[in-house]
Amino acid sequence: MNLDDALNTFVIESRELLESMEEALLRVEQSPHDEDLINAIFRAAHTIKGSAGLFGLDHVVAFTHNAENVLDSVRSGELEIDGDLVALFLQVCDHMGSLVANVAEGKEFGEDIRQRSDELTAQLKGQMTAHQSAGAAGAPAEASSSAASSEHVAVPAGGGEGGAAHAETDNWHISMRFGKDVLKNGMDPASFIRYLTTFGRIVNIVTLLDEIPRAAEMDPEDCYLGFEISYRTDADKAAIESAFEFVQDDARIRIVPPHSKIGDYLDLIREMPETEMRLGEILVRCGTLTENELDAALLAQQAADASSEAHQPLGTVLVAEQMVSPTVVQAALQKQKQVKETKGGDASMIRVNADKLDEHINLIGELIIASASIDLTALKSGNPELLEAASVMKRLVENVRDSALQLRMVQIGATFNKFQRVVRDVSREIGKDIRLEISGAETELDKTVVEKIGDPLTHLVRNSMDHGIEPVDVRLARGKPPHGTLRLNAYHDSGAIAIEVIDDGGGLNKERILAKALERGLVKPEQMLSDDEIHKLIFEPGFSTAEQINNLSGRGVGMDVVRRNIRDLRGSIDIDTEEGVGTTMRIRLPLTLAIIDGFLVGVGGSSFVVPLEMVVECVELSQEEIDAAHGRQHLNLRGEVLPFIRLKELFDIADAPPPAIDADADSPFGLQLESGRDDLPPVDEELAFLLQPVRRENVVVVNYAGHRAGLVVDTLQGEYQTVIRPLGAVFSGIEGISGFTILGTGQVALILDVPGLVRRVASKESRVNARAASYVMRE
Amino acid sequence: MTNQTTSVLNASASGAGLPAGAGMDAEQQQYLTFNLGEEMFAIGILSIREIIEFGNLTEVPMVPPFIRGVINLRGAVVPVIDLSVRFARPPCEVTKRTCIVIIETVDAEGGQKQQMGIVVDAVSEVLEIPASEIEPPPQFGARIRIDFISGMGKVNGKFVVLLDVNKILSIEEVAVVAAMNRAEEASPA
Amino acid sequence: MAEATSPDLAVPALCILGDFTIFAAADLKPKIIEAINQGETDEVVIDLADVSEIDSAGLQLMVMAMREGAAQSKNVRFTRHSEPVLNLIDLFGLSGFFGTPALAGSTH
Repeated sequence: MNLDDALNTFVIESRELLESMEEALLRVEQSPHDEDLINAIFRAAHTIKGSAGLFGLDHVVAFTHNAENVLDSVRSGELEIDGDLVALFLQVCDHMGSLVANVAEGKEFGEDIRQRSDELTAQLKGQMTAHQSAGAAGAPAEASSSAASSEHVAVPAGGGEGGAAHAETDNWHISMRFGKDVLKNGMDPASFIRYLTTFGRIVNIVTLLDEIPRAAEMDPEDCYLGFEISYRTDADKAAIESAFEFVQDDARIRIVPPHSKIGDYLDLIREMPETEMRLGEILVRCGTLTENELDAALLAQQAADASSEAHQPLGTVLVAEQMVSPTVVQAALQKQKQVKETKGGDASMIRVNADKLDEHINLIGELIIASASIDLTALKSGNPELLEAASVMKRLVENVRDSALQLRMVQIGATFNKFQRVVRDVSREIGKDIRLEISGAETELDKTVVEKIGDPLTHLVRNSMDHGIEPVDVRLARGKPPHGTLRLNAYHDSGAIAIEVIDDGGGLNKERILAKALERGLVKPEQMLSDDEIHKLIFEPGFSTAEQINNLSGRGVGMDVVRRNIRDLRGSIDIDTEEGVGTTMRIRLPLTLAIIDGFLVGVGGSSFVVPLEMVVECVELSQEEIDAAHGRQHLNLRGEVLPFIRLKELFDIADAPPPAIDADADSPFGLQLESGRDDLPPVDEELAFLLQPVRRENVVVVNYAGHRAGLVVDTLQGEYQTVIRPLGAVFSGIEGISGFTILGTGQVALILDVPGLVRRVASKESRVNARAASYVMRE
Repeated sequence: MTNQTTSVLNASASGAGLPAGAGMDAEQQQYLTFNLGEEMFAIGILSIREIIEFGNLTEVPMVPPFIRGVINLRGAVVPVIDLSVRFARPPCEVTKRTCIVIIETVDAEGGQKQQMGIVVDAVSEVLEIPASEIEPPPQFGARIRIDFISGMGKVNGKFVVLLDVNKILSIEEVAVVAAMNRAEEASPA
Repeated sequence: MAEATSPDLAVPALCILGDFTIFAAADLKPKIIEAINQGETDEVVIDLADVSEIDSAGLQLMVMAMREGAAQSKNVRFTRHSEPVLNLIDLFGLSGFFGTPALAGSTH
């Protein structure tokens, strides 16, 4: 019963609802008659209003109520959805967002916010009056319940059957008996009544204190209150019911429409715990019934009791024939459906704290290490039963891992959809007509990755809109359609997720980029750069090609941040661009940050893990090929040039010493394997085979982001499930290694960051080349 | 071990010269002494988690030489620092007596704890060195950066260098990228 | 509501401070009962000037207090109702019940 928790839930849920509301608004513009969308928008506003009422957030309730009214007219088909209405509602949606943000921060609503509420309310009301005057001749079939029931007033009261006569009152009657636990559940009956005052007037209220027990028996945290309310409003029954949506299970609520039959009041009286006389008097006191009506009702009641056979069918008939107008029935049905839907949703979804999930995944990580170690022990023992048991366990552990990781997987669609709004707003702002297309929305990736990808994506999208897509005149001159298209696409590709931001704009201009880079001193004139390298200059810090600086992306902050953010996620970014045709920015990210399938290789005495999804094949590096390469670092792989990296050289790893080789004193790290020394315990058996003299080297062919490269290693040790241990503060930022892992032997192995390695080698080479080039020039 | 008999009261009168974060409690008087080459150093035992045999070390390529590698300490990957190299001496030769002392440092700002191992030639013993027997570090002559030293402890008439591990092993000092940048700045190429 | 403004010189047996809601109800109930039990005169005055927040739980305690007083033939009287208290009483149509005789029985 923590109010803060409850409020927190309100904030979270409201944000989710606003998100779906925004999404539906953006989609409804295209298909204005999609009832599901309209209902979704209505439901979002409606639910937020309802919950806000619970917390006594009157301002939120009042504001949302007006929005809901307009939406209701849309829902009933009285008001047409058009661009302006959508624009208005997007603003309303934003404003509700800021109201919720205010609530989240625990602030009072400031003057500016209230003013904004008033502005929007005025616009909303404008919509209503516009439609009311236009829709005066609207279809009478959909007339409101009060109109429908007003017809019944004509039926003379006090006719043959007391129960069938109609009460004179124009007011609704609401009867409430709250359950004991209402207060403990964080709800206050006063809030519901206060909420009623936001869209109607309480004509009269009688608070029933009868149930409050003597002091000794009273539990101060129980609720004993009941209320009889005479209430005047133009809202329909569903709207009134919505006030009590959250207390349905905890209270008995009865709502009797104006001019209901006396029999209905009778039912009410019968239903409530108080004696008939007492409640009857209360109804009279409330002004809901007159004395005469009450007498008639009680007479009818006695008559009905006398012939109890007739009583049942009478009641049914009454309800069926009279009480409820078609709209009310419809509302009630929809209400029921809604309730069912929510109930269903509650049952199948659980909110779980992400920390708990992380802890769970960490434990599974430990489990994987333990399982690997058992596997290894089983192999060594050669005991077939143990081997069998170990392999069963290994398989189960893998399943557990997969399902645990699945828990963290979310679809990228929600992230993509946020850009509907961004694109819509930005294109209006910069005066370009840009449409957003989304594909691959159902592609799943790790929640932590999703959370961190939003900012870089925003930068890329805005960059494409600003600098990619040309102004209309340029587009027309180039023979393109006047409206630009931006596409967000996602797909799974060799164990990674690729996210693309594609525009059909002007493409990157090589010369301009190069000129700018020179001007900024990012490159030297003598540097030879490939097209790809030139394109990637836009990711250098302090780079901007925008000729016009605007408030979105012209300041050159951003693109370098984009790349850094993506690298932090162990991802990479590539550019495909064709001048005049368009640009594709392709982000590649690992699916998860916690566990990967690795491929274990040995170099000298060290073990390294290559992410398995990058491994294409392994080939032997023969002496002929080494000779044919003439010292160059590439080989001929079935007619293709495959550049390779000698890990041993790059990492300065000494050859695994065949016994007792003198330490290489020149090694800058001064580190040698101690295996040859007599005074040390013998090397672990598992590693022993690594220490055999190596005749042939192997090349692991890796594929990343469309590039291929070879890693030259000594031994191939096979697939290995790997729990990633972060680099930690000491090693953070190191290029070429993305993390550690612990092998079944207990030894730590390094996980290779292939793109980082390639970058490292490439930058080394380009430095060498640049030096060579400048040397030539000086000559 | 004459020092062991010194009263606790003396220790409470401690002052400058004790390692950062040193409390007034008697425990802080205890130091682990160990050898690096011919020299003897000491570290307050409050920072020390455990001492393990040298072995099962995984080298990490492309890092400064003072980082010998990483070890698996019950599932955690712990970096291992060679203090000799850090003090610009030749690297520790591995012998039967070589040990890794696991130290928990506390980041001065964030209070974040970090475990690190240091390679030592041999650990000798745990000594009580009362504050009265601790001199401030000398201005020069210790052949070690002054700020790495928290004081000079007198043991049996000889001086032992008391090391400030929070400083020596601080992230600013040992982070690979920072160290490599320093190296790059230092080298004219 | 005239009572709120008229000076009341009676010495309160209990001043309820701050929260008079479900969160404080369990603590306040015994205090209220104690104040009533210990009241030596016929009148037990409970001061509400510093009630910053009240909900249905608080209101129920007020009703309980009045009834408990009546059972002990003591007149439990609330004084200096703070704004939130008055608002809630008004919302519930209980101004009469809580001692504004002119409006007894109805909020009309």
